[in-house]
Amino acid sequence: MDLPHRLELFPDCSVTLLLFNHVKNAAALRKKAMEGSIEGALINPAMIVDPFQILVAANKAVHLHKIGKMKTRTLYAEIIFNLSPNNNISDAFKKFGISDNDEALLIVLVVDREKTVNLEDIISQVEGQQVSLDELPQLTDIVKVKKVYKVTPQEEKIGTLVDSIVCRMSTKDVL
Amino acid sequence: GIPAPVVYFVDYVTNSVYLEDIADSVTVQDHINSVQRNGNDTSSLLVLGEKMGELLAKMHDEDLIHGDLTTSNILMRPPMEKLDLVLIDFGLSFVSGLPEDKGVDLYVLEKAFLSTHPDTEMMFKALLKSYAAASKKSGPVIKKLDEVRLRGRK
Repeated sequence: MDLPHRLELFPDCSVTLLLFNHVKNAAALRKKAMEGSIEGALINPAMIVDPFQILVAANKAVHLHKIGKMKTRTLYAEIIFNLSPNNNISDAFKKFGISDNDEALLIVLVVDREKTVNLEDIISQVEGQQVSLDELPQLTDIVKVKKVYKVTPQEEKIGTLVDSIVCRMSTKDVL
Repeated sequence: GIPAPVVYFVDYVTNSVYLEDIADSVTVQDHINSVQRNGNDTSSLLVLGEKMGELLAKMHDEDLIHGDLTTSNILMRPPMEKLDLVLIDFGLSFVSGLPEDKGVDLYVLEKAFLSTHPDTEMMFKALLKSYAAASKKSGPVIKKLDEVRLRGRK
């Protein structure tokens, strides 16, 4: 369906986004994710405004993974953590990871060139409908996003929402 | 609320910062040169000066000192008529509420202006007027600017 994105700085890495709606087993999937028995970062699509936001998070996660400086224990946990505008790991999971009652789900996969990942296998574990990434805007909760990232009206006049979000994501460890 | 390139990624290993590329942008420096060369509508430069004044007022009101204000550190996004400005190169920036620091910031720009762009006194005047009108704290800053100007001549 939607093509994988190659990371410019890590050309051997490709990032695939799978979007699902009408998901019935979010609780079970969340449990699997915590146990590490499902491949991928399980993210709440309501907090995502643009695939670029995911790419920035993934890029940073891959970079830190390669130099052994991740703040969390797995690459996928790191991606979720990177989406957060602050440095509180459990808060990041609460806000950006999926919750038991969620009906929409975004799965992010990062694959090295040599490895192949079985997309069908992952898709089959989701009791829901896979939909095109084009539907992401319909699932985004813009009000909540602005609140979590604390985007001001002045900022919105200057640039896009993604711009504001990406800035916070990439500079949070400097501030 | 200051237009500047978006930071995409900070690499602490190589100490690099990956920024947004403002595609097809032109520096204010190149724009002024081209307008003057073409003998074009120089009154448009006055409006540009006003826009710059507004932008710098916003920046200084947030107590951000650029530290290296020149016409090549301000970009214009296409189309040029929109006067959509973007500030770049914050390598010498710092935070300060002192009118002296803001005055010096403007002085650096004035010197850069007049040495790079002949016949732009009116443009810079328009810039300062607009700055004074847009900034909530401009009084002391302009005062300091005048003082610095006098110091510079000694």
